[in-house]
Amino acid sequence: MVATTPDAVASQAVRQKARRQRDDELLVWPDLVFIEFIAAMVFTLAITALSIAINAPLLDRANPAVTPNPSKAPWYFLNLQELLLHMDPALAGVVVPTVALVALGAIPYYDRDNEGQGEWLSTPNAWRLTWIGSIVGSVGSLLLIAWDAQLHVRSFVALTGSEWPAALNFLRNARAIQNDLPWPDAIKSIPLGNILRLDLLGLPAADITLNIPELIVAQILPVSLMIGLPIIFSIVLWKTGEAKTRRDHMIAQFSGFIATYIVLTIIGTAFRGQGMELMLPWQVKMPIS
Amino acid sequence: MATTERPESRSLGDRLYDALFHNYFWQSIFRSGYPNTPRNQMLVVATNVFLHLHPTRIHRTHVKITHTYCLGGLSFFLFLGLTITGVLLMFYYVPSVERAYEDILHLHTDVRFGFLMRNMHRWMAHGMVIMVLMHMMRVFYTGAYKPPREFNWVVGVVLLVLTLLLSFTGYLLPWDQLAFWAITVGTNMIGAAPVLGPPNKFVMIGGFEVGPNALIRFYTLHVIGLPLLAATFMAVHFWRIRRDGGLARPL
Repeated sequence: MVATTPDAVASQAVRQKARRQRDDELLVWPDLVFIEFIAAMVFTLAITALSIAINAPLLDRANPAVTPNPSKAPWYFLNLQELLLHMDPALAGVVVPTVALVALGAIPYYDRDNEGQGEWLSTPNAWRLTWIGSIVGSVGSLLLIAWDAQLHVRSFVALTGSEWPAALNFLRNARAIQNDLPWPDAIKSIPLGNILRLDLLGLPAADITLNIPELIVAQILPVSLMIGLPIIFSIVLWKTGEAKTRRDHMIAQFSGFIATYIVLTIIGTAFRGQGMELMLPWQVKMPIS
Repeated sequence: MATTERPESRSLGDRLYDALFHNYFWQSIFRSGYPNTPRNQMLVVATNVFLHLHPTRIHRTHVKITHTYCLGGLSFFLFLGLTITGVLLMFYYVPSVERAYEDILHLHTDVRFGFLMRNMHRWMAHGMVIMVLMHMMRVFYTGAYKPPREFNWVVGVVLLVLTLLLSFTGYLLPWDQLAFWAITVGTNMIGAAPVLGPPNKFVMIGGFEVGPNALIRFYTLHVIGLPLLAATFMAVHFWRIRRDGGLARPL
């Protein structure tokens, strides 16, 4: 009689559900605390062993008069220092990291549904998209670095034995677009003072000239590549049906970003030697400390 | 013949145990009993200020190592280790251009375990950057940033930036060529920004070039400013994990 009233049925269902959930739960003490303790012990021992085996580097006393060649930032900023070689310093050092961090923080506000939550790569195409994103990101950034380091020119010379055709000089690298195309002189130095009439505000006249080819190579080209290539990538994934949901696109883009980040860090750390030239790690000579 | 019932004589171990853990003083510190029953096991987690970072119960799948690889916890653990070794290093280090480099040499040769402390501090610092990055990847690939945890992902991005800044400010302190030029290159990148770059760089290093002002600024940020900020954001990060019901679970 009691069990058939709606309220009693409901409370029974609730009680049953609660019990089932409880069955899937463990007590934090000892199950989790024990794992944490073991992890902490293993890590303490590993760090101690590492610290006994390898000494932290210490070079000569800081000397502002002697610049080591190459001078490098800490390794986790070498990806940015690598970008610095290919574009305007303001872009590489400030704009790109700021935009990247804001974009990173914005991921959950773009990809909002609960699909794929709480399990490793649980959406249908997740692993495949991770691979595609990582490969596209790493291969793409390697190709761009190779192009800017004129590796295609070097390979052409090595393979054919002849010189790189002079007519194609502008394809040597990014800077060649500025130097080897017949830009009219008029657009190489446009005085901005005539447009920005700061003198009308009582300020000193703006003494800036605008170099359009320089602007194209140092700003417009890298920005279009960094924004355009990911967009094209996502459009291709969408049109080929590889990526259907926002989560799919985020997985591909995030994997591409991480792969690019790792490639740039490795290239900047191990493959940049004297004068920040691209070379193999064993060709890099230690900078004079 | 009448038999008298006598209580079993208690072993020395039992009596010692009672004397140690069932006395007035011990129980004034640890109010719950020894955690060998489910009740006491939950009480010990709930009543201990350090353990209560955890819930008392946790879902079965979350203690699988392969679910998290302990990456977030290890980042926190490295932060604690860096605090301990960092405090020890502070005993011997004076952040002045005249003394900094000499103090590191002195630490290497004259201080017992000094070199070991410095090595541990350095490798844990690199380790923390790697751990935090890998923790971010773990959270991404397990979809753990999804509702209701969106903002905690943002807090995590802030903690990533703070980790990088902590490492970067510490990089200058040995005042050797590696430190000096790495910070010169790094701060020049900041100075390259249009309009806001040069004044920002000036504030950061207290001048136009890396020098005594930069050293004291980086030192102060490294040993107190950034750790306090990071600890605050960590508190928010952990609090929100608890509020949102622990780790993300499939729906």
